[in-house]
Amino acid sequence: MIAVSDITKSYGAGENRNLVLKGISLQIADRDFTVILGASGSGKSTFLNVISGLERPDSGSVVYGTNDITKLSDSELTQFRKDNIGFIFQQYYLLPNMTVEKNVRMGADLAGNREYREIITAVGLEDKSKKYPSELSGGEQQRVSVARALAKKPKVLFLDEPTGALDEQTGRQVLDYICKLHKEYGFTIVMVTHNQNIAEMANTVVKMNSGKISEVFTNEKQKTAYEIGW
Amino acid sequence: MYNAIISTGKVVAAVSGGCLAITSVIMLLFYIKNYIDMHGKELGILKALGYSNFKIAKHFWVFGLSVFVGCALGYALAFLYLPSFYELQNAEHLFPEIKVQFHPFLAFLLVGVPAMSFAALAVIYACFRLKQPVFDLLKEKHEYKAEISKKETKDIPFLKELTRSTVRGRKSLVFFIAFSAFCFSDMVQMSMSMKDLSSEAMAIMILTIGLILSFVTLFLSLSSVVKGNMKTIAMMRVFGYKHSDYSKAILGGYRPFSYIGFVIGTVYQYALLKIMVTIVFADVGNVPEYNFDFKTCAITLVLFILAYEITMYVYSQRSKKLPIKSIMLE
Repeated sequence: MIAVSDITKSYGAGENRNLVLKGISLQIADRDFTVILGASGSGKSTFLNVISGLERPDSGSVVYGTNDITKLSDSELTQFRKDNIGFIFQQYYLLPNMTVEKNVRMGADLAGNREYREIITAVGLEDKSKKYPSELSGGEQQRVSVARALAKKPKVLFLDEPTGALDEQTGRQVLDYICKLHKEYGFTIVMVTHNQNIAEMANTVVKMNSGKISEVFTNEKQKTAYEIGW
Repeated sequence: MYNAIISTGKVVAAVSGGCLAITSVIMLLFYIKNYIDMHGKELGILKALGYSNFKIAKHFWVFGLSVFVGCALGYALAFLYLPSFYELQNAEHLFPEIKVQFHPFLAFLLVGVPAMSFAALAVIYACFRLKQPVFDLLKEKHEYKAEISKKETKDIPFLKELTRSTVRGRKSLVFFIAFSAFCFSDMVQMSMSMKDLSSEAMAIMILTIGLILSFVTLFLSLSSVVKGNMKTIAMMRVFGYKHSDYSKAILGGYRPFSYIGFVIGTVYQYALLKIMVTIVFADVGNVPEYNFDFKTCAITLVLFILAYEITMYVYSQRSKKLPIKSIMLE
């Protein structure tokens, strides 16, 4: 369980101070698929960064089980991310001078996972494991970043607009892989998106507007990546 | 003796001046290459808008300005120091007593010509580096071309592979880091060993030039390593790699090359001094015998290890402070 209490976060100082998160509280159950939905500038990515331990809030707490990560030192937070968190970003951030296999090993070695090739196969890239990112399409690159994140066996997977740079067909394919792997491995998913249709795939949808949560609801039936609109 | 002093002066001027000139040219080319690599997107947009290679490259003349300032400053300092230096060198009154005079043509040769040459070289080289398709500049493809190796890699751990690919990807830095160690080893040992063969002022000059060359080269190289690997460092931090992991993997790969540079520098300075004593001072009496100075070598090695490791530590701390969010927003 991730319990977020009264989180505030601002940037700048004095007259230029911009309050991005205005006292957000939320609970995310283990193994849940939560989508944080909001328009550009609503504070959803900042919220993701704060609850994943990439940024520190100005006030409030983020508790994983009994562990409040806002109280951790930098090195403890690094260790926490190593043991618990996986990330997938819109821009992939693959290492350009390393093959698919080596990029995936970046995640796998952290967890001592020697079966990382299974994940490469699971995302359908076994025949491209010796290719470099520049030799792959956008969808393939995003699948590498999925494999890299999952190879470290995270308890929680954070995704920031994972289909933002992909076309519809490729986007659906990547989401499908993520959903299948979610069912197989049973990690918690927290995904940020501005696409309302993607929210239909989640258990829980959190709508954000101007740094606040405006609505939280549960989907009775989750749609697959090929059932949603785009 | 007169001829020996003249020859020593020529050797020192050729070694230090030659080293400085070559390093400056290589540094200029290296900096321009790095600048174009790191600003590929902006330069690509300019080209896409219709700016010609030359129109963009001609602005690189500004490097000539910094060379002008440096040379003018060096010339002025040398001009001021020359009377005392001459007096020191002429302690035994082997040379005529002369007054130092300002020669405009010499000033032009030592300040104007280098500045103009470097400005021209910067423009020509920038023009050459910009001769690539707009798309490659926009996609910053140049970064990968050099780094990608088609060699079959064994199943080695990620951190080891990162060390290899970092070194492989920026081979020019291998040269610079080895060169930095070479300068340190060569010039420091030479300055300490030649105290019996030349004046103290000459030894101090050699030492100063060596240290400046060595540290400037090392700082520029390490800055380039950290800048070039910012995104990798940011991603490793996001994933939970410890500071010691990424600094060791990224900066540590250059260590063996620095020690190779040190060894080459040691051999080079010994050979140079031996040749100087054997050939230049062949006809001069009472010249002390020159043998390899193990004590000096050991002291220099300890100083080098300290200087190198402290510099590495400073740069690894710098990589720790890189802001993840701003790097990922770039």
